[in-house]
Amino acid sequence: MNEAEFAYRIRQALDEGASQVDYTVSLRLEKARNAALDRSSASAAAPVWVPALQLAGAGGRSTERNGSALASWIFRFGMAAPLVALALGIVGIKQWQSDNLVAEVADLDFAVLLDDTPIDTYAHSGFGVYLRTEQASNAM
Amino acid sequence: MATRAELSEFLAGAERRAFKQALFAVRDQDNALDIVQDAMFRLSESYSDRPVGELPLLFTRIVQNAILDFFRRQKVRSTWITLFSALSSPEGEDSDPLESLEAQPGSASAESAQDQVERGQVVGIIEEEVSRLPARQREAFLLRYWEDLDVAETAATMKCSEGSVKTHCSRATQALAKALRARGIEL
Repeated sequence: MNEAEFAYRIRQALDEGASQVDYTVSLRLEKARNAALDRSSASAAAPVWVPALQLAGAGGRSTERNGSALASWIFRFGMAAPLVALALGIVGIKQWQSDNLVAEVADLDFAVLLDDTPIDTYAHSGFGVYLRTEQASNAM
Repeated sequence: MATRAELSEFLAGAERRAFKQALFAVRDQDNALDIVQDAMFRLSESYSDRPVGELPLLFTRIVQNAILDFFRRQKVRSTWITLFSALSSPEGEDSDPLESLEAQPGSASAESAQDQVERGQVVGIIEEEVSRLPARQREAFLLRYWEDLDVAETAATMKCSEGSVKTHCSRATQALAKALRARGIEL
């Protein structure tokens, strides 16, 4: 008897053994199978959360590609995009405020240099404070 | 994509063989059932969108991986137990326990067929001897001749060469024939 014939007879015995498993085993296997099927159908029926950016870029085809590598990357990008936008916004606001401050100081310096500053300005106590603060910051 | 009915039909046809394979490997009914359940979950969650024709090979691979995961977890657990009990393992750290794992006489699976009728006894003895094969030999033999995988598919599932599959199958056949002959069973 060669290997294939021997294996075929072993296979028959194994098939017979597999068909005669205990009732408790059959029951547990059936429960496991139903639970597995529920997981499958539940995941298929569940609404898929689509990030706004992904929806805008991919149109209505996003669900077709759900599960693929591309969809995964788009999903990750959709998750990260709002954070990136927030960070860029904060940096932009800071830069805008800084530019405004520089422009105000430049206007003031320019007015002083051109002697356009009203005479009352020199008498104002705040102007003296401003000058001392500027000198202190320049000295540092 | 497999429908729910197709997936159910496939699992119903494959679950008992998967259970038996897991039982041959781990020799504990509850652990074997857990392995099969885990494999079913993995298949339905991750691969239910695949065509029906791909399911048998996928499920076979998932079951084999689940069995390997079980042994890995068991190895980690036994390593910690060894550390705390100060008992040294008789095998080296690098040795693969699946290569030389032998059945223990008197185990639950070995005694399961004792009260069966004659045919049932023969089936039980065959299952027992299959269970006693070294793990890699048994895995190759069952994948090749019970799951009907070809040599290349078996090699891919076992993550070894096709030559190793042939060697494992040949050795398993010889060992099984010898063991059955010694117990008075001629096929």
